[in-house]
Amino acid sequence: MNDAPAAAAAVGVNAVTPRPRSDARLVLGLAAAALVLVAIGPYLLPDFLINNLIRGFLYAAVALTVDILWGYTGILTFGQSAFFGIGAYAAGLSFTHLGFGLGIAAFALVGGIAVAALVALVIGWLAFYHGASPLYASVITLVLPIIVAQILYSGGTFTGSSSGLSGFESFDLSLQIWFWIAGVFLVVLTSAAWLFVRSDAGRVLIAIRENEPRCEYLGINVSRLKIVLMVVCAIVAAVAGYAFACVQMVIAPEYAGFVFGTELVIWVALGGRGTLIGPVIGTLLIDTSTAYLSGSLPFIWKLVVGLAFVIVIVALPRGFAPLIGRVFRPRRAEADARGEVPMLRASAKPARTDRESAQTRALDLNAVTKHFGSLRVLDGIELQADHGELLSLVGPNGAGKTTLIRCVSDGGERSSGSVRVNGHDIERRAPYQCVAYGVGRKFQNANTFDALSVAQSLRIARSRLQRPSLWSRAATLALPEGALKVMQATGLDRMLGVEVRHLAHGQKQALELAMVLAMEPSVVLLDEPTAGLTRPERQLIGSVLVELTQQQRLCIVLVEHDLDFVREISSRVVVLHQGRIVLDGTVAQVVESELVRTIYSGGSAMSGAHA
Amino acid sequence: MAQILDIITTAAILYVVCAGLLIVFGVMKIINFAHGGFLTVGGYSALLVTKMGWHPWWGIPVSFAIGCVCGMVIERLVVRPLYARPLDAILATWGLGIIIGQLITLGFGREVQFVQSPVRGAIDFAGASYSQYRLILVGAAIVLGLALSAALNGTRLGLQTRAVIMNENLARGLGINSGLVRFITFTLGAGLASLAGALITPLSSVDPNLGVPWLVGAFMLVMVSGMSLVSLAIACLVLGGAQVLVSTYGNPVLGGLTIVVLAALLLRLRPQGFARE
Repeated sequence: MNDAPAAAAAVGVNAVTPRPRSDARLVLGLAAAALVLVAIGPYLLPDFLINNLIRGFLYAAVALTVDILWGYTGILTFGQSAFFGIGAYAAGLSFTHLGFGLGIAAFALVGGIAVAALVALVIGWLAFYHGASPLYASVITLVLPIIVAQILYSGGTFTGSSSGLSGFESFDLSLQIWFWIAGVFLVVLTSAAWLFVRSDAGRVLIAIRENEPRCEYLGINVSRLKIVLMVVCAIVAAVAGYAFACVQMVIAPEYAGFVFGTELVIWVALGGRGTLIGPVIGTLLIDTSTAYLSGSLPFIWKLVVGLAFVIVIVALPRGFAPLIGRVFRPRRAEADARGEVPMLRASAKPARTDRESAQTRALDLNAVTKHFGSLRVLDGIELQADHGELLSLVGPNGAGKTTLIRCVSDGGERSSGSVRVNGHDIERRAPYQCVAYGVGRKFQNANTFDALSVAQSLRIARSRLQRPSLWSRAATLALPEGALKVMQATGLDRMLGVEVRHLAHGQKQALELAMVLAMEPSVVLLDEPTAGLTRPERQLIGSVLVELTQQQRLCIVLVEHDLDFVREISSRVVVLHQGRIVLDGTVAQVVESELVRTIYSGGSAMSGAHA
Repeated sequence: MAQILDIITTAAILYVVCAGLLIVFGVMKIINFAHGGFLTVGGYSALLVTKMGWHPWWGIPVSFAIGCVCGMVIERLVVRPLYARPLDAILATWGLGIIIGQLITLGFGREVQFVQSPVRGAIDFAGASYSQYRLILVGAAIVLGLALSAALNGTRLGLQTRAVIMNENLARGLGINSGLVRFITFTLGAGLASLAGALITPLSSVDPNLGVPWLVGAFMLVMVSGMSLVSLAIACLVLGGAQVLVSTYGNPVLGGLTIVVLAALLLRLRPQGFARE
């Protein structure tokens, strides 16, 4: 596994590519079993239960979308009921006012999907702007069903107001056939969702849940991704709602309302968020029990569900499903982690047209200023850097080093001035757009994805360059040379299957550095990349950085306190003090400068200030 | 004139309803979705007072006390483990709201009941005849706002609370028992919600879901108010006023949506809402 660099030459020519892996076989098997159950169901079950399960299947489909949004991606949504209601009313309104016919049925379905998708787009635009808090997204999804339900209430005879619509004509199908339709719909949907969440693309959802800012700085357009996800989930919910109206032939505003939206969340929480199967089974069980028990014990049953919900949220955040699954799970999960380690190899050399053809500056900062109220953290910074430079930023704590890094990697940060990266003005662009111009940023504290493995984290870092598959997991992981060297220097290449939360601090630092380099940036911003590493590791990383600047003509901006390290590897040093550049020169010039000595000895005790 | 009074009294009612939610959110950074449940508890406390044959004004201390007791129990059992998980806290407190609603249904039945109002009828105010009770609520809102400000700015505990609001870790480092501050805050928040429930019931009636319609509006108002009692007052006046105007000149359904829609849009354009920074 360690001969990856040697394989670099062979890449794309004669390397044997292992096939990508997926759970397709397992999912197909389970789906087949589930389909058999669906097929024989109507012959074994009483009519009452069949009717209930049809409804349960459709609810479960919506619960599945809540699980994708909330359980996997971390967007707590109360709004999926609104999309269900939109689908249901698309059918109800069309059949009531236009009459029933196959053409009209198709029109209603397409119309429902279109309206749901459009509403989801608007909601996504509102809720997922760059910098929106997760709470705000929840607020918006809470407002949506309230608005939709109110519109339905106020629609007079057109929407049937509070009594809803009933008595419209619909497909003339028996309960048995509807059971099959709804059952197949749910099985297909669950299987597809399973393949998706366990694919490389599905890991991106978890990465967003775990650490959204890091995703942005890895070049992932998180807002757009969330909006797309929202639209897809809205469409699924609308289709379920449409089918619901067709079977039940009774609809009411409550199905679009906020209370139903919270019920969906309750079912998902009880079944086990982030498990797909849990929410499906949870929904089926709870909905069926409700139908049976709400007659005999109406209030007690609701009380029990409420109690169970509170207990699960407080004590069992993963719901009941994992608890049951734990009995036979640990061994499999471990085998999963070890068996699934992809093969490391070097990626093809990137075509560096941007850097080599045009003689553009790597970095060009003009009068960059940042202030918080009257406090000026950066004051008129003028700084140019070229490719092939390893520029160290030094200065006492509070000098503005990290702020400067922030202003280069996120267009929204600076108060005034301009920043050009490889000739592109970053204007007010978001971090992921700065990444597209070539910026790669490593944070001061190790900033990684705790719930993912080392290999998965690196795959996320590569996802901008190599589109991850929606249904399978690649068996190889291609990384650029720099990232591979960092991995080898710190032994991470032997820990690909280890979950990041189990890594030591220094290893997390190294992993984040490897992730940044995996993006193939041309301007690399490193905020204390070697803190927490041992001396030999630090030297190895130092030599990797020097090599990257000299051979691949990267421009590296390094923030460091360890002046020995700075002296060994820098080609140029910039001294920052109280938000201004006080010195810009070669290592020798800075080391001999009287000014630097006064700044450092004048400041408080500095770690590593033995210059 | 009646319209101006409508706006002012509506704002006052909203302010009374939101105050408890605001202090819990301000100090604990937690959205208490059991707030609706506490409002209901207050409504039924007032009903209990009516049934016992006491004077309706007793509803105020009784509801406050019952609310505080509920708050204490819930803070210890449910809210404390969720400090680090704010989204889960929303869900758990929503579940509590369901439980409270069901317990009340079991205890008092499902039907709509009426509470005796402490004062009746209308008085002439600035040339118009206006409901006396609604005017009294304006006074109640002002007293409440002043009392809370005084408690926050004039007492030792208030000072500690403000420290926790600004920087909880630092406050803890300085020896402030932030756990105690949170406990008292939640207790007070629950008490105020219950009090608000008792105050608003004479305007309509009580039923087990009395609090739910208020909850979302109150939640949105708190979201746009940041953590300040002053910006809450502004938010109640502006958005409550808009609600009155839309209901009068537009239609009541749109009026009911005014607060949530305006608040959501406001947050999108100006994430800090009515707060200053």
